[in-house]
Amino acid sequence: MKNLLKKELSELLNKQMLLGLLVSFILIVMLGSVMTSTVSGTLDTSGEVHIIDLDNTDFTQQIIAKLEEKDYTVKTVSENKAYELILSEQNWSDAAVLPAGMTDLLYNQHQACQIDSVKALKTTSAMSIAFAENSSADYVISVMKELLSETYLTEDLSFLESPVSVVSYTTANGKNVQADSAEIISSLAMFDQLMPLVLFLLIVLTAQTIITAVAAEKTDKTLEILLASPVPRITIIGAKMLAALITAVIYAVVYGTGFLISMLTNVNRAAENIDIGEAFANLIHMQEAVRTLELQIPFLGWVGVIVHLLLTIGIALTASMILGGLVEDAKGSQTASIPILVCTMFPYVLSMVSDIRGMGSVKYLLYLIPFTHTFISTSCLRFHDMGLFFGGMIYQLIFLIAIACAALKLYQSDILFTHRFANKRTKN
Amino acid sequence: MNYALDVQHLAKSYGKKQAVKDVSFQIQEGEIFGLMGMNGAGKTTILRMLATLLRPDSGDAFIAGNSIVKNPEKVRACISYLPDEAGAYKTMTGKNYLQFIAGLYFKEVPRQKECVALGKEICGLGDALEQKINTYSRGMTRKLVLARTVMTKPKLAILDEPTSGLDVLNSLDIRKTIRKCAEEYGTAFLLSSHHMQEVSSTAHKAAVMKDGQFLAEGTPQELLQKYQAETLEEVFEKAVRNA
Repeated sequence: MKNLLKKELSELLNKQMLLGLLVSFILIVMLGSVMTSTVSGTLDTSGEVHIIDLDNTDFTQQIIAKLEEKDYTVKTVSENKAYELILSEQNWSDAAVLPAGMTDLLYNQHQACQIDSVKALKTTSAMSIAFAENSSADYVISVMKELLSETYLTEDLSFLESPVSVVSYTTANGKNVQADSAEIISSLAMFDQLMPLVLFLLIVLTAQTIITAVAAEKTDKTLEILLASPVPRITIIGAKMLAALITAVIYAVVYGTGFLISMLTNVNRAAENIDIGEAFANLIHMQEAVRTLELQIPFLGWVGVIVHLLLTIGIALTASMILGGLVEDAKGSQTASIPILVCTMFPYVLSMVSDIRGMGSVKYLLYLIPFTHTFISTSCLRFHDMGLFFGGMIYQLIFLIAIACAALKLYQSDILFTHRFANKRTKN
Repeated sequence: MNYALDVQHLAKSYGKKQAVKDVSFQIQEGEIFGLMGMNGAGKTTILRMLATLLRPDSGDAFIAGNSIVKNPEKVRACISYLPDEAGAYKTMTGKNYLQFIAGLYFKEVPRQKECVALGKEICGLGDALEQKINTYSRGMTRKLVLARTVMTKPKLAILDEPTSGLDVLNSLDIRKTIRKCAEEYGTAFLLSSHHMQEVSSTAHKAAVMKDGQFLAEGTPQELLQKYQAETLEEVFEKAVRNA
């Protein structure tokens, strides 16, 4: 038993496997750190309350003092300017607007008032909705209710049940529209969630298919037969890559369709509980909001996204050919795809939970991963970051050319069979 | 003289280990040349260099006049290589496999058909060619891959341990096929083998290798005379032990 266990372990825990494990460990720790810093960054800013104080009375000063008492960092401006300008100038993600005459309405006329909640939309990632829930307006309303309760403690005023109502505004691309940012994100979620998922599946499945296929051909020695045949090596590589691409597309279409059906089923289930007329009106309103904020992607933009997709798939295919070529046996193929898996997982997960473009210095590390540029391509188009969109495209193209040259070189070299770099040829 | 294969001072190292050291030999059209040697003697490295899979560190070899260093593409058009224990695509039928290989060598359909017909005849698998390769025995697979190696009528067929792991009858069939193809189509064969009997009964010429070098080379009769031996096994033992 001891001998058998030792033999099994020595076969399973080989150098290649341990190296793959180490690389995965380092990358997962890095991913965890990035995720933690992203989330803590969000929490840090959520402790900040931004107020556009257009009323500027003792009551609004009391609101600010009460918030500061609760350890919130309160930042205020009193300028009556367009919301999008104020948020942009102050670099705020949101603000609560206390309108002129608010105090008078509450204290003298004993009427409910209305405040505006403005949010700057910087990403359309679905998870950002969760982070966007703690807005400045929420904190302000909470404090206002406390103060009003204290003031009217002895009086019976029915308006205290709902003294403040909120109107949501969203700003993006230097525009402002009366709409809730979460609803705008939800209206775009169908595509903005589906495309990254399909891309993730395409890359991972393509990589695994190619690496396994090349490893199997090396083990069966059919690769040697092919490479010694009169067919140009670029044709052999191309055929294998194309076949893997077709297989991966089939997988991606099946999985993507499944995901879409599941999403539509959820939408239908939700629709059963709401008024159809109201839902339709809301849909029209959201489309109008997306148009006003210039978040829609034009036809040529979609063409650009497809170019990004093709470049990413090309890189994944070529990198897989290289990794497959370097694999010594079928066992090695299990761990060989880890670098591609991790390089896909990083930008995929991070683009789903946050805005990669606003991640500080970490974003530059992520930009080095060519796949990142495709995951953020729609975001770049929606938020008019054309420099990054085209820069990413050019970077991916250069990366693809470089990696294709490396693959061709590998398949014309000894390394494929010797797993060593060739000696320099000496002159006769 | 125009040789099917002319090897000149071929050498190859893997890091610090010299796998092949300054090896030269020639094979004429229709000639069968056997490389004998222990594991790690450098036989497979020579075959892989001639199949243009490995690049020599120095020296060159010419196959039908084409340099393996300067014109590997031209070399691939006139050779056929059978690696040691090579398999075939298991999901294909035997017939589909022969058609697939013929398609790699010839663009014209009539030539492909001619090639497949020859392959069918050489392998002698009959109706089994309609079955998937994953149902084949080791001997059947070996006959199929040998047939695909010679059906294109290459100038030089490079065979690494062609009968490795086969029973006596299957080994005899394979040897007969090699001799027949050499005689009928003028194909030159370079084969490596551990079996002295195989080399003795098949090859016109043979060489004994150790540590990447040729210790002895000649016809089986010349080798027997040189080492005053009765069998090639004896020749091999004396050559290797005296080296």
